[in-house]
Amino acid sequence: MASRGEALPRPGVRVGPSRGIGDRPSALIGLGFVALAVALVAGVGFGSVAVAPGDTVAILAHRLLGLDLARTWSDAAETIVMELRLPRVLTSMLVGCALAVAGATYQGLLRNPLADPYVLGTASGAALGAAIAVIIPVRFVVLEFGLLHGLAFLGALASIYTVYRLSRVTGLAPLTSLLLTGYAVGSLLAAGLAMAMYLSGAALRQIFIYLLGSFDAATWARLAGAIPIVAIGCIGILLRARSLNGLLLGEQTAMHLGINVRRERAILLGLASLVTAAAVAISGLIGFVGLVVPHVVRLIVGPSARAVLPISAIGGAALLAYADLAARLLGEIPVGVVTAVLGAPFFLLILRRARTGYEL
Amino acid sequence: MSRYRPANLLAIVTLLLAACTGVGASIPPANTPIAAAPTAAPTLTPTLAPSPTPTIEPTPAPAFPITLTDDEGTTVEVASEPQRIVSLTPATTEILFALGAGRRVVATTDFDDYPPEAVALPDVASYTAVDIEAIVGLEADLVIAGGNFFNPPEAVARLRSLGIPVLVVYAPDLAAVLDDIELIGAAVGLTEASLAMTAAMQAGFDDVATATATLTRPRTFYELDATAAIYTAADGSFIEEMVELAGGDPITTGSTTDFAISIEKLIAADPELILLGDAAYGVTADQVAARAGWNVMSAVKSGAIRAVNDLIVTRPGPRLVEGLRELALAIHPDLVLPPAVPIPAVP
Repeated sequence: MASRGEALPRPGVRVGPSRGIGDRPSALIGLGFVALAVALVAGVGFGSVAVAPGDTVAILAHRLLGLDLARTWSDAAETIVMELRLPRVLTSMLVGCALAVAGATYQGLLRNPLADPYVLGTASGAALGAAIAVIIPVRFVVLEFGLLHGLAFLGALASIYTVYRLSRVTGLAPLTSLLLTGYAVGSLLAAGLAMAMYLSGAALRQIFIYLLGSFDAATWARLAGAIPIVAIGCIGILLRARSLNGLLLGEQTAMHLGINVRRERAILLGLASLVTAAAVAISGLIGFVGLVVPHVVRLIVGPSARAVLPISAIGGAALLAYADLAARLLGEIPVGVVTAVLGAPFFLLILRRARTGYEL
Repeated sequence: MSRYRPANLLAIVTLLLAACTGVGASIPPANTPIAAAPTAAPTLTPTLAPSPTPTIEPTPAPAFPITLTDDEGTTVEVASEPQRIVSLTPATTEILFALGAGRRVVATTDFDDYPPEAVALPDVASYTAVDIEAIVGLEADLVIAGGNFFNPPEAVARLRSLGIPVLVVYAPDLAAVLDDIELIGAAVGLTEASLAMTAAMQAGFDDVATATATLTRPRTFYELDATAAIYTAADGSFIEEMVELAGGDPITTGSTTDFAISIEKLIAADPELILLGDAAYGVTADQVAARAGWNVMSAVKSGAIRAVNDLIVTRPGPRLVEGLRELALAIHPDLVLPPAVPIPAVP
């Protein structure tokens, strides 16, 4: 079984020329936090309504730091900054962080460079859940979370659980089995989604918007609902970076290192899926981030999960925050379009500079 | 991106493009209430009884604050006479301007096309999204939105959570359009103007219904779109009601939710008259006659293929009487209608 698993390409790479900063992950992390801070300020400062930079800072200082400032701003400006922009920027960061960590985990677990957070059917499951929520004529809201977000979350988890269970009963190597089962279940769910969209009538547009992905609907309540799930999942994965590294070397080597392969794989898969489900539930389907950010990070700092996971988390958060800002300034175009347009050329550039091939 | 996307995205994008260009009727291009209402069953009475509006509280002197129930059953409180109104559908924009509240409208959608003053206003909504930040920035004190998913329900909920009253209107039939006009009239403090308008509109509908009552009704196919599938009136839809009132015998899809009709069904129904609601998008009688299989239909053989202005026929606003009259004349070109009842003009 293990030897067949070895046949899959392995992510893991050495970069030639641009070592420099790649040798110092802590410097990269510092740089990442600076980028995040700039993204936060820019994301709160710009939008379709002009709010003076001084007012933006004053509102943030007043509301977040509790400073007693003379009110120079309007109620509308305060609502825009505190209720619309700030939760939106923070949500984009949370989702970027979640997708990048989940993507890095899936790529390591499946030892497949094409793996992304959606590879095992989570996207199809979430989309079908959201579509069903849009179609059923009940308006049901818990904690402002809404049926759509709830069913998308459950749909993502249910589909990955189904894929995992079904993959266990095939005679194939575990990784091959997982990928192929994921493909089969995903196709079935996609058919269900197509049917739901066909039946949705006037609600089609709402399903379509969900499929494109957006942070337009970000609220404090939704952010508060997603933060604990993403935090627990990401920290759990970070704590298992050693297992992930072991699994990256192949099943047999991992066993020699004393790793309970089956158990660790199930736990990591579960955590990554939980994080993905929370992200897609609040933002819809945003592609590219989860696939490419871990690759870029790996190309810069090397394959060790100890470095790849935290730097991917920060990189994903920054990428989505900037992408969402660009999407907003360009008139609410889909954020997934921006991530691809910004990220793909950068990814190609990094690939060109990589000295060695992708396999070890 | 997961695997299903490339395949399905194409279909989705096609649908959305169709909606944006107004060619696909699967998504209503304007505030066209062509989908069946979830709650109200459309009634097809040739003469519409003036319906009382239970949603309006008896308001003799101070009209505000007022509590209204919108078409989704939500209770909406309007604290004082709205001075900064945002209209999120072309139909409600037309209603507001016709009522005389146009000067208080501060923003509309980027697909508003009438009246010209409304087109010039800032746009805060597109087909896919509502710019909540812009609405908050304009300090709107009343938002009028379209139901049945015309505006994203998410956006409506969001605006309400920010303390902005949102009135959601959705008219599945003519009687509901009049109710909506009175509801909007009450919300903006123009109840009397709205009652005068609906009375005039009702009289206009009745004139047409009376004039066409005794005429022979041609089997009428109202074409919404035929670029991919063929879209026409669903059973119990707004268009079916309009065609019946205008003296036609509407050919419908046989379903209340499906607006597509198969070519086989259409040939079997054998329309005696084809009305091109998609004429504004460049569809002509010659093109229809040249379509494969259409030459067997009576309407094509006799050349009874006519263009109508779909916007005023299907948009649930104050120009519906005009639309109904145009529709009646398209169905019965020799019809003599009494002079149009003037919709009370307001400053």
